[in-house]
Amino acid sequence: MVHYKLIYFNLRGRGELARLVLHHQEVAFEDFRFEREEWPKYKAGTPFGQAPVLEVDGKPLAQSNTIARYLARQHGLAGQNEWEQSQADMYVDCIYDLITGTRPIIYETDKEKQKEILQKFLKETVNPHLEKLEQQLIKNGTGFLVGKSITWADLAYYSFFSPMTERFGDSVIDNSPHLKKLVEHVANIPQIKKYVETRPKTTL
Amino acid sequence: MLIETFYRQIGSEIVTNKSFKFSMPVYKLHYFNNPRRGRAELSRLIFSQAGVQFEDVRFSHSEWPNIKPTTPFSQVPILEVDGQVLAQSNAIARYLARKYGLAGKDEWEQAQTDMYIENIHDLLNAAAVPFMEKDPAKQKELYQKFMTDTIASHVVAVEKQLKKNNTGYLVGKQLTAADLAYYAFFSDFIEVKFGGAFLKDAPLLKSLIDRVKALPNIKKWTEFRDSKYPEEN
Repeated sequence: MVHYKLIYFNLRGRGELARLVLHHQEVAFEDFRFEREEWPKYKAGTPFGQAPVLEVDGKPLAQSNTIARYLARQHGLAGQNEWEQSQADMYVDCIYDLITGTRPIIYETDKEKQKEILQKFLKETVNPHLEKLEQQLIKNGTGFLVGKSITWADLAYYSFFSPMTERFGDSVIDNSPHLKKLVEHVANIPQIKKYVETRPKTTL
Repeated sequence: MLIETFYRQIGSEIVTNKSFKFSMPVYKLHYFNNPRRGRAELSRLIFSQAGVQFEDVRFSHSEWPNIKPTTPFSQVPILEVDGQVLAQSNAIARYLARKYGLAGKDEWEQAQTDMYIENIHDLLNAAAVPFMEKDPAKQKELYQKFMTDTIASHVVAVEKQLKKNNTGYLVGKQLTAADLAYYAFFSDFIEVKFGGAFLKDAPLLKSLIDRVKALPNIKKWTEFRDSKYPEEN
């Protein structure tokens, strides 16, 4: 049995997708979390001064999407063929860009300015993306982003939009009925539900 | 010569009754003509190194409003593969690298290749900040900060990985798209823009990017590209 150790902040953030993949596929792993103040202690031991890092029998792998993709591929959650795998990659890369776009919002301390940046982000970036995404979901016609069954791409959209609605309200995805249905579906998967109920409660 | 025999000789897949199917898909890579490399370049390097034909579609910014709605997510590059569309520069590069033997020899090496490509993606995103700055003085300051804060520490980290791997390549014992990605960013962008001083304490990285630059198929591509497409501002 391969030993996985996922090393990340005690946050959801860019580590959560890997956790969701492992929980969905019911694969045991060491969910190593550290607090923000402890980061300097671990930083030097990472390949590129960043987290998350996945240790696979002690061998390190960096980059959040690389980690989640490796786990998805190893454990049957990456799509049924090469083309589906790349479609899933494409969707997860879209989420990566959206996560990057939330950084100025998260780090803005002035509440009024934060609200302003958020509205701009939703209007100029999130909403246009969601319009296209709805079209893709309708086109695929299965309820899932890729092919006929769940992939890590669906988990990625859940992982991003669930905290977004939690923090900024349901209105974020109100105009995207297919995505809303997908997010709800993922939230109700027993393994996911159980993990979400028992995981540490974190702001991000 | 019979048509069937002709096609059999050039190694295509044959379905009987005189119909046939070529094994090589038709690829069309779509991107802006400016920047002439940008987020499409890694895929172009993968095609070139692998010796795979592709249509290098480049359009102007004035044509973009008409093209934009036809893309999956209003962004480019996109790759058409026999008419089916894939978006996101890294998803495209990864798909091609895996298909054409530039993604390592097994799943672990594929993951390592992915990791390095994603490092470069982050560096490109960081470089985009000064790149987009309109004020020349502020831009110079932002680029300076980028070089000292972001690039310097990454070069130290990747030099350490190269030393650890000890093969001259980033991943395993062979060239992968990871090496092409590092060449494209560090040589074709950073070195061209800022000179090679940042490589003075990174002999392994310097050796890698010089070797990639000199690969026959890469050299052929960059010479063709530089003569055909004028330098952007």
